[in-house]
Amino acid sequence: MALNASSPARPAPKTVTLATVVVLLLVVSGTAIAATAAYYTLRTAGSPNAPVTPGHLSVTDDLGRTVVVPYDPARVVVLSPNIMDIAFRLGLRSHVVGVDCYAAADGGLADDYSPDQVSLWSLSSSMCVQVGPSFAAETLVNQTPELVLASTIVSIAEVETISTTLGIPVVMLQPPTLSGVLVDVSLVGEIFGVSTVAASLNARLSVELNNATQIDNNLVTLPTVLVTYSVDSNGYWTYGPGTFGQSLIEFAGATSIAANATIPYPELSPAQVLVSNPSLIVYGVGFGLNESTYVGGPLWSSFSAVQNGNVSGIDSNWLTEPDPTMVLSGIPALLAVFHPTLA
Amino acid sequence: MATVEPAGAAPALPPRTRRRRLAAVALLAIALGLVAFSTLLGSVTVPPQVVYQVVLHQLSGGALFPQQCAGTTVSPRLCGAYVVIVWQIYIPEILLALIVGAALGLSGGALQGIFRNPLADPFLLGISSGGTIGAAIIYVYRYQEANADLLLPAFAFMGSVGTGLLILGIARGRFGSVETLLLTGVAVANFLSAVLSLILLYNPTGSEQVTFWLLGGLGLATWEVDGIACGAVLVLGTLLALHGRELNLIQLGQDVAQSAGVDSRRVRLRVILLASLTTAVAVAFTGIIGFVGLVSPHIVRRIWGTDYRVVLPGAAAVGALFLLAARDANYLLFPGSLLPIGIFTAFAGVPFFLYLLYRQRSASTMGSA
Repeated sequence: MALNASSPARPAPKTVTLATVVVLLLVVSGTAIAATAAYYTLRTAGSPNAPVTPGHLSVTDDLGRTVVVPYDPARVVVLSPNIMDIAFRLGLRSHVVGVDCYAAADGGLADDYSPDQVSLWSLSSSMCVQVGPSFAAETLVNQTPELVLASTIVSIAEVETISTTLGIPVVMLQPPTLSGVLVDVSLVGEIFGVSTVAASLNARLSVELNNATQIDNNLVTLPTVLVTYSVDSNGYWTYGPGTFGQSLIEFAGATSIAANATIPYPELSPAQVLVSNPSLIVYGVGFGLNESTYVGGPLWSSFSAVQNGNVSGIDSNWLTEPDPTMVLSGIPALLAVFHPTLA
Repeated sequence: MATVEPAGAAPALPPRTRRRRLAAVALLAIALGLVAFSTLLGSVTVPPQVVYQVVLHQLSGGALFPQQCAGTTVSPRLCGAYVVIVWQIYIPEILLALIVGAALGLSGGALQGIFRNPLADPFLLGISSGGTIGAAIIYVYRYQEANADLLLPAFAFMGSVGTGLLILGIARGRFGSVETLLLTGVAVANFLSAVLSLILLYNPTGSEQVTFWLLGGLGLATWEVDGIACGAVLVLGTLLALHGRELNLIQLGQDVAQSAGVDSRRVRLRVILLASLTTAVAVAFTGIIGFVGLVSPHIVRRIWGTDYRVVLPGAAAVGALFLLAARDANYLLFPGSLLPIGIFTAFAGVPFFLYLLYRQRSASTMGSA
């Protein structure tokens, strides 16, 4: 007791000091966060309202973002296979200085693009700005692009990094519908000053879309189908409501057995496939999958569509990448499978 | 305060024994009820009348209910589908849940006993990381054949066993130290985890399947798979369950065990090897299903006491039912969805694990107070 009584004031200064340090830390970190947020808000907010300087265009991308881009940029990075398809068809090879190589499972470009494209474009691994699941900013900067064309396979955080931190405009091209492909073709044509070529391509796309619509109009009953893009021991992955794949199936005049699924990309168990009894099964080929993959799937041979021989393979790229190739090759292929007598 | 038994009064054991027997009968009843109920659950709802007709028809070799779906409004086509669904999907899936659950429960009980640690589980030594590498190799590099044969479970099994042997080999010189063994397991598991990340990073094809496999699933269930798994678990499990007496003595300390003629070092090696092999079988066919091996032995100890001659088979039985209940929970909570079963065992197991941890800390705090 005597010892305690002799030094009563000693703990108090320590407590005050600690509290002061904590408060100071909170104030400093709060100020830093607020300043950073204000900086980014001002930069982001400033972009859409910035005056369009000569040699620049103000465009609205598929996410509704207004982006100021240089007209006919000489150096562009393309971060999605569906945009590469548009760039290829519009003859923009000399502009492309960087590409995304993530989807190429074997580290090459051949999985994503046809041999013709690869050889014509002389794409090389030195152009890869993304080989892993997230892009490397330094490799992108190293290509000194004036513009980045990306789809939603690139995360919004990465888009922000490219556009805000690196100051490179990013145009997001992820069409929500098939007609959106035509919009994207026009947009890319406008940016690169090849609107005439884009209009010509869109005319071809329109012919295919109109052809499909006419076939749809003549249909009395729609076949019930399973369009699967992957398989594992649990079942068959397919497109559910609200997905591009689902709208593609409907556009080609069929009803998916997963039309009423509760999630966008459901995996259907073999039991669900058996009960739904699709009259046709279409499987995606590519990305490491082929016919034998599906033949080895659970209860594959028990499905009546398989027993009746109503099974077809289709290039997975045609089902998954919303681009001109999907319209020019994917839709005719689906129509031929779904309606062999009409297509 | 100790109670004083009156002279000549019957000891407290008989009521406890009666309670334990009652609990055993209840467990049996729950098991039968759960299995019967489970046949009604799946990604597709099959009318109960059809389910039981199909099962009895198949079990009787066609003698019972020769006209399946008779007395129902089910069309012949749908009836044919239901027969396949019940007999080739639901029943093998239920059996695989029981087999793997038993393997994990038994393995967890044995490892908790040998390490004298109630928080030990079948994946403690890190052998599952090797199984994952084995599965990833198949999914990534030989994806096209992944579902066509037994290559996936074979690779996963080899990966698990190889990792187990590697850990034991590295820790061999200092095998007497449990800490060395466990830390070796942690180190090897982390190394293999880094290898897996590297493989998946540069080979996105099949990575989704590996992710699903990491959370466990019963999708590989077929009669063939069930037969192999059942045979392996039966042999390994029986050998493991025979170590109950040694485990009881080891709980009393190394000196007591040694004085009773038990070479704890040899027993530890045998039990770890057998438990690792049993776990490897489970991992090979269903992936990594957590918490079954952790929770089941505790339930048994709370009901039937700490005698390892009871704990080991009891943990197998409870583990089997736990995993089957997790399968049913999947179909009840998410009708028509195929979610990894490990999610549901974790939902049930994590609160239990935290309860154990809290209880153990409370006990040690009270003990030290």
